[in-house]
Amino acid sequence: MQMYIILPLLLIFGPLLFGVLVMLAPGWRFKTPLIVLSALVMIAGAVLLALQGSFALSIDARIMKALPLIELLIIAAIIYIGFRIKKWLVIGLGALQLAIGLASEMLPHAAHEHVSALNVDLLSMIMVLIISVIGSLITVYAIGYMKKHEAHGPEQMRSTGLFFLFLIGFLGMMNGLVLSNDLKLLAIFWEATTLCSFMLIGHDRTTAAGESAYRALWINTLGGAALMLASLLGAAGGGPESLDGLVAGGALLPLALICLAAFTKSAQLPFQSWLLGAMVAPTPVSALLHSSTMVKAGVYLIIRLAPGLGDTRLGQVVAITGAFTFALASAMAVSQSNGKKVLAYSTIANLGLIITCAAIHTPLAYAAAILLTCFHAISKALLFLCMGTIEQSIGSRDIEAMEGLMRKMPVTTVIAIIGMVSMMLPPFGMLIGKWMALEAVIMSPLVLFLLIMGSALTVVFWSKWIGRIQTVAYHPSYKVEDVPFSMFAAKGILLSGVVVATVTVVPFFKRIIGPMAVAAFSGVEVAPRSWDLMKSVDSFIEWPLFAMLGFVVLVLLLTIKGINKSHVREPFLCGENLEGARTTFEFRSLMDKGESARIRSYYLNPLFGEAHLTAWANPVAMALIFVMFGVIGK
Amino acid sequence: MITVDPVIIALLAIVAVPFVGAIIMGLDRRLTARMQGRVGPPLLQPIYDVLKLLRKEPIVVNRVQVVYACLHLAFMILCVVLLALGQDMLMVLFVLAFSTIALILGGMSVRSPYSRIGSQREIMQMLSYEPILILMMVGIYLINGSFMARDILVSGKPLLLSLPLLFPAFLLVMTIKLQKSPFDFATSHHGHQEIVKGITLEYSGPFLAILEIAHWYETFLLFFIATMFWATSIPVGLLIAAVCFFGVILLDNIVARLTWPWMLRFMWTAGLGLAATNILWLYI
Repeated sequence: MQMYIILPLLLIFGPLLFGVLVMLAPGWRFKTPLIVLSALVMIAGAVLLALQGSFALSIDARIMKALPLIELLIIAAIIYIGFRIKKWLVIGLGALQLAIGLASEMLPHAAHEHVSALNVDLLSMIMVLIISVIGSLITVYAIGYMKKHEAHGPEQMRSTGLFFLFLIGFLGMMNGLVLSNDLKLLAIFWEATTLCSFMLIGHDRTTAAGESAYRALWINTLGGAALMLASLLGAAGGGPESLDGLVAGGALLPLALICLAAFTKSAQLPFQSWLLGAMVAPTPVSALLHSSTMVKAGVYLIIRLAPGLGDTRLGQVVAITGAFTFALASAMAVSQSNGKKVLAYSTIANLGLIITCAAIHTPLAYAAAILLTCFHAISKALLFLCMGTIEQSIGSRDIEAMEGLMRKMPVTTVIAIIGMVSMMLPPFGMLIGKWMALEAVIMSPLVLFLLIMGSALTVVFWSKWIGRIQTVAYHPSYKVEDVPFSMFAAKGILLSGVVVATVTVVPFFKRIIGPMAVAAFSGVEVAPRSWDLMKSVDSFIEWPLFAMLGFVVLVLLLTIKGINKSHVREPFLCGENLEGARTTFEFRSLMDKGESARIRSYYLNPLFGEAHLTAWANPVAMALIFVMFGVIGK
Repeated sequence: MITVDPVIIALLAIVAVPFVGAIIMGLDRRLTARMQGRVGPPLLQPIYDVLKLLRKEPIVVNRVQVVYACLHLAFMILCVVLLALGQDMLMVLFVLAFSTIALILGGMSVRSPYSRIGSQREIMQMLSYEPILILMMVGIYLINGSFMARDILVSGKPLLLSLPLLFPAFLLVMTIKLQKSPFDFATSHHGHQEIVKGITLEYSGPFLAILEIAHWYETFLLFFIATMFWATSIPVGLLIAAVCFFGVILLDNIVARLTWPWMLRFMWTAGLGLAATNILWLYI
């Protein structure tokens, strides 16, 4: 067999195999090397696949015939889980999937043999790289994390072996999802990721974990049903049952159904609750769900279908829905003091932004969508890994409790600050992506307005958080915190990833993403203005930004050593500072009494409180989804 | 037309701009003094102040604040350079935001309640004016068909005629950015701020000088944007900037400081409303 056939199979089934091995391996002595080995194999496989170049792969017809059987098995698993957790909603949705699956078996499959089952093109290569590299780093991080979690976690939780089976297996299923072109295959991988996330979110088996896992299951099963229905409608219309067939065919109803499925998976309003609930899981799970897998499946699908959405009303409504999620989720993040929730809302918001970019139908926006997907994956994975370390160390997720973190864990804090800065400031990739997005949506006023408001709000919650964790009194030196090597290594590699990606963002755009967008939109009618914008972004000179940053670093390196204890004074407190006070927030007040000043951040709860924003945002988002289906018939 | 090497333009901007900014600040102090019935300091007083600050012993609360002071100045300079090179104006705004966030984080890095409150208020200021600035660039794009500063004259028509409502919105932004009443709650030029010097409280000596110099660049930048509203004729542009200057200082001297919730509400209704209305008719 040739190499190019082995690679996709390795990337899809390799993780499953490794997951089983890790599960069976007794003790950490055997588990650790196996996890590291699986990470190395995955990374190597993904890089080799990227070097291989594009190709399509058809699968033997006999294997394709077995697909409905696998699908049936998965649906049976969902229904079984529904019975186990006694939730009629899950059973009902499982039954719905079963009905759709059976109906599609009744139909004759004319076009089935002609489609390639797997498609390896630039977009799926990028996705495979994101999944395999970032996902594998997270599994390595999980070694250190789960050792601690085993010792301190709830008693009734599932075995760590099972955890790694689903964690590593998840990556394989995701790889399958982004590589498959055949809709039936896609639906199988889609459901498999849903099941994996159900198991991972419910890992601790606490009441909260159980509820969150259930919510994740039913929302994503609903999405899965929409996806299967899209495939059924495609087949019933005599069209090909493949993604590129759908793009070329241009039938709108299947596209809208796939968009709905993507909304559920990418936790767009009103489906955001499952991703928010998912934070009860161990942090590696959150990191995986938020950065490289699961939620990225949704946006991947919309990017994939973007040229097919065309300049239709459907595309416009999808763009507005994404922009609405971006603005509202950013606003909700402002009011949160729970760090993991801020990260979750930021993920939801950025996914909305990516969806908007994918649906707006200009080459520049398409390029921005891909850029944002890449950069968001790296930065968000890094931030979650930092968050996990912080949480395990200080025992809290509350941002207000992270005061003085710089003293307790300087390395993690600095990494977290860089991670947060990379989410909002130039010259980091996310900002470059956001800048391109703003320029690309210029002809859609409503979308533009929502994006502008969302961007302004984004800056608020990140800078509040950075301000909280970096606050520090003068210390001549810092003691580096004690973090397990696996956790440290994963963060270190991701951090260098952020830096490298930042420095190479413009060449990356010019060499790879730009041409990809041009290719995807060749032959598609777009406004001439959008090509002009593409050119103007193409001519962007980034070196002054880096030159300035480099200059500052140089100046600081030269001067900062010169500052020593003799230059340090206590801050002004409008009263005498208390000698030897634990914090310099304490000062001598009336009658020599010690007084402590405490400053909380602004959370603007009356304005951006989660409960009352959700109360009207969810119905509006729901309405937008109805509009999405409504405009098809028009 | 004579073509000048962009590097020379950039260097010229880096060197000349702070002087212009300092003189504007000096004029500000003179004019304010006259409005208050005082004689006021010499025109070059801001420069004297900074020269003296630079010679002082470096006093800090921690090292982190030094990092942010330098970042604040560097990215403010970068804004001016990008603008001088005729680059993308949205990017200029983002670089300006970087600079402001560096200032905010510098204020938050120290354990001082006054400085922290100042920083929090500065964040609220950004939240209030950032959307208006971006909408302004959108307006300019809709007229010129380009985000590039070098294409500002493409339409051949003064921007003010097409952006009559965005201009007062920009004036409000300018009042906030110049730390003038009624919006001077993060920090103030006057010594009667209830949180002392707010965001810049814990900076002293050469590091305070760095912030002052950055403020010169920022002042120039704002008045430069004001002149862009009538870029077709430089005298008219300058006249507009002068009117803005006078208006902002007059406002500073006749109104009291308000609260940040009031500012947020006001800017998101009146300011954003003006800007959005103006943009709306450009689309139709």
